[in-house]
Amino acid sequence: MILRFSIALWLSPLLSTLALLAQQVPVQEFKLENGMKFLLVPRKGSPNIAAGWIAKVGAVNERPGITGISHLFEHMMFKGTQTIGTKNIEEDLKVNQQLDKVRGEIRKEEQVLIQRFREGKIADVKDPKVRTARHQQLIKEFDDLNKRQKDLMIKDEFDRVYTSGGASGMNAGTSEDFTIYFINVPSNKLELWYWMESDRLSNPVFREFYSERDVVHEERRMRTDSTPTGRFTEQFSALFWKSSPYGWPVVGWPSDLEAISREDAQAYFGVNYAPNNLTACLVGDFEPAQAKALAEKYFGRLQRGLHDPEPVRTAEVPQMGEQRMIAHADTNPEVRIRYHTVADGHADEPALMVLSTLLNDRTGRLYKSLILDQQVANQASSTHNGQKYEGYFELRGVAKPGKTPEEVEKALYKEIEKLQTELVAERELQKVKNQLAAANFRGLQSDFNLMVQLLISDSLRGWQIINTDPPRLQAVTQQDVQRVAKTHFPPEGRNVLVFYTKKKNAGGGQ
Amino acid sequence: MRAAGFSIAAVALVFTQGVYPQGAAIPRHPRDLKYQPLAYTPPKPADFRHKLSNGATAFLVEDHDFPLISVNVLVRTGDYLDPAGKVGLASLTGNQMRSGGTKSKPPAVFDEEVAFLAAQLSSAMADFNGSASLNCLSKDTDAGLALLVDMLRNPGFAEDRLKLAKNQIMQTMERRNDNAPDIEQREFRRLVRGDKHFSTLQSTKASVESITREDLAGFHRKYYYPANFVFAVSGDFKTPELLAKLEKALSGWPNGTEAVPPVPKPDYTPKPGLYVVDKKGVNQGRVRMGHLGVTFDNPDHIALNVMNGILGGSAFTSRITSRVRSDEGLAYQAASIFQHGTYYEGVFAAVFQSKSPSVAQAITIVNEEIAKLQNTKVTPEELTTEMNSLIDSFPRRFSTASLKAGQFANDLFNKQPDDYWIKYRDRVRAVTADEIQRVAKKYLGPDRMVILAVGELDAMAKGNPDKPQFSLDKLSGGRGLTKIPLPDPLTMVYPAN
Repeated sequence: MILRFSIALWLSPLLSTLALLAQQVPVQEFKLENGMKFLLVPRKGSPNIAAGWIAKVGAVNERPGITGISHLFEHMMFKGTQTIGTKNIEEDLKVNQQLDKVRGEIRKEEQVLIQRFREGKIADVKDPKVRTARHQQLIKEFDDLNKRQKDLMIKDEFDRVYTSGGASGMNAGTSEDFTIYFINVPSNKLELWYWMESDRLSNPVFREFYSERDVVHEERRMRTDSTPTGRFTEQFSALFWKSSPYGWPVVGWPSDLEAISREDAQAYFGVNYAPNNLTACLVGDFEPAQAKALAEKYFGRLQRGLHDPEPVRTAEVPQMGEQRMIAHADTNPEVRIRYHTVADGHADEPALMVLSTLLNDRTGRLYKSLILDQQVANQASSTHNGQKYEGYFELRGVAKPGKTPEEVEKALYKEIEKLQTELVAERELQKVKNQLAAANFRGLQSDFNLMVQLLISDSLRGWQIINTDPPRLQAVTQQDVQRVAKTHFPPEGRNVLVFYTKKKNAGGGQ
Repeated sequence: MRAAGFSIAAVALVFTQGVYPQGAAIPRHPRDLKYQPLAYTPPKPADFRHKLSNGATAFLVEDHDFPLISVNVLVRTGDYLDPAGKVGLASLTGNQMRSGGTKSKPPAVFDEEVAFLAAQLSSAMADFNGSASLNCLSKDTDAGLALLVDMLRNPGFAEDRLKLAKNQIMQTMERRNDNAPDIEQREFRRLVRGDKHFSTLQSTKASVESITREDLAGFHRKYYYPANFVFAVSGDFKTPELLAKLEKALSGWPNGTEAVPPVPKPDYTPKPGLYVVDKKGVNQGRVRMGHLGVTFDNPDHIALNVMNGILGGSAFTSRITSRVRSDEGLAYQAASIFQHGTYYEGVFAAVFQSKSPSVAQAITIVNEEIAKLQNTKVTPEELTTEMNSLIDSFPRRFSTASLKAGQFANDLFNKQPDDYWIKYRDRVRAVTADEIQRVAKKYLGPDRMVILAVGELDAMAKGNPDKPQFSLDKLSGGRGLTKIPLPDPLTMVYPAN
């Protein structure tokens, strides 16, 4: 697994194992006076504790100009504090201030260049030749300050303390709706976790801010820019969401990544990482009484925020007509069809998840119909993604050689139509419910998975949904499936991404 | 359905929870925290090992927390047994065992049964082994085992499913040169193993087209029988009862008489140098640089683990990550791996991805770090961090029943000595800074480095105008770089350069 990664990619499979079955996970819950919530699940067996916390903030809470800040911020949380990561905190903070000042001046120079680029006067804002002497001088000052800061730092001390304490799997992830931080610690090191996490929440210092911004930009290049379909699916998403902030990528637009400043990060931290916006969770070998005492001692020192973060205001406007995006890429001919549906927790969500499961896997309808019977596709699947404020349903199919994406598209509509006009068979429905129920058990087995699921659940509608959502899935009826199929898939609600294989230049694969 | 409590599993484990001193002030630095010692004895494989009457070995580890059972099977076979001209046969056999139904049940019927039980059933092939697995509710153990054994013993290899699989493989094959990570893996393997070894032979349109249902059945017949199986079973069962069920399920299944051929060793000396695949349309260069490593039975492999942790194996506490990523912001992933091969030497490699203009700078940094490890001793702090990490995170290897059973089965399959993990932590503790420098000198070879970069050649060669001191040209030491052309994806014929 890669470190400090954006988990947008594995969010939906994780959520689909969340919402299952009548197993009661015994959680001990308490809240500190500053509003921070704790969830404890003591489990004996191995001398290990899976520990984590979640901030109820993600890309959906951003605005143009700072897209990607949630994710960049997640990276910054590993850069140390007033105690961790520095030999001399006073000097360190001074250098940080100077860095910001110089960076601000550089930004002014860059804005002049960006304007000249806009007017077509220069071709590349990054070309050193277009810079003024002052600009070059500022860059030099900036580099010198960075070197100065390096001399004051204890490199990656945050990681070193944990690693030498036998902790492992330290990572964090950012999605549209939340940011999560987690780790495994040996059970005798529980207090170390409290020390480290409460320290970085009470006095973080965002060192190496600008080089970490470059790291995130490399992450964007790796995940999006340098993959055959990354930039296309990113733009399809931006097309799909018209007014909703779900339209920008978690990793952020490149122009924003270049411009986000440490001041932006500081302001963001003040509101969104206050204890009243956080939940922590421990699963594993520990004594709850001790865990509670340590929580009060360590996290009790965090100051409650002045106000709770405001929920997202901008809702998606209804779609007035079908939208299509035609893409030529180094990929097989494929079609993806997206419809707006409902947010996480909506009354229609369980039926939409059942509907999606009916279509999937080797006994699902898409495989039987599109792949085996009609032989129009070589791969086909669907997914429902109910996010905090909005949701969508997506169908996908890769055309079999000799068939077109349009033929696959037609066949997918046919399957939706069947769900709208005919009731699903009892046995077929039961099979899907069995699968969802078993998936629930599997998802709860690992301490680490359970910790992550409890935290994500809590950030959405409260951790209790880990116990209350599964029965809702089991209660879905044949009529429910038909009803949601009729409600959520109107022709004017279609958003279609068609991939054709890009023609290669003469000379073969190069 | 029974409610799943969280009971105490039977592990050899002593942990004394100290009384927490209330009201004590928060220590200024975590180094001032005091911890109870963590005593831990790893489980012994012999306590869980059972020999079945027809020659299979099974490791059974009970865990009654959840009403589930998981059965994994390792099979002595592998991709290395592909016959000449039929590259891809082993892999197709592995996946068609699951997809093609059984002799008595057509695929649709078989798949419905599995799905209605909400079981997970799979079969696959890797380089040096086949594998199969079942996960189902423990109340369905009998039905699940019957499906697993039917799949393993009587695969149907239905023609229509084979035809579909071949069509899917062919479609994927056409995309072989599109994904930069795929190109990087494939070409680096060719550079270190040569073109002749099985591990670098690629399936082609012709080789896949030539594979018939009879080929699959023949491959299966040759290697799939009980004496070639190692079972790893974990979950909600009683050991004597499950042993009886396994015996019954496998009864009357005759073992083969032909010995499974040994894994062939590569016979190739890599040619050091700088190699580039010119991949258009990407703004990042992917780099993999390294050379041959050691085998698992090399007594230095533990010291090499510690060394590699410090070099690039332990994320942010390792030098390559620290310099390439956090100092310079040149990469999101930057790390090194030192593999120990079971059958022949593994590979040492440093890997990263960086924007095209900074590729040369990042390669230079990695080279510097390798040289530094050979020329100077690691600091006591680095050594302690790495050793503590390996020792204190050790119990996590065995933290669940399924991890235990899986580790035992793997170790037996790879002929690891029974006391390997018992002795492991003492062997880690014995590593010194001198020892690390010695193995760095012996096993790292800056002059043997094969450096592969996949990305836009022009942009990588142009470099960063602000940092003219770094260039691909300089890295090649004046010998120039070697361009690797992309092969025809369906025939894997490489055009002449």
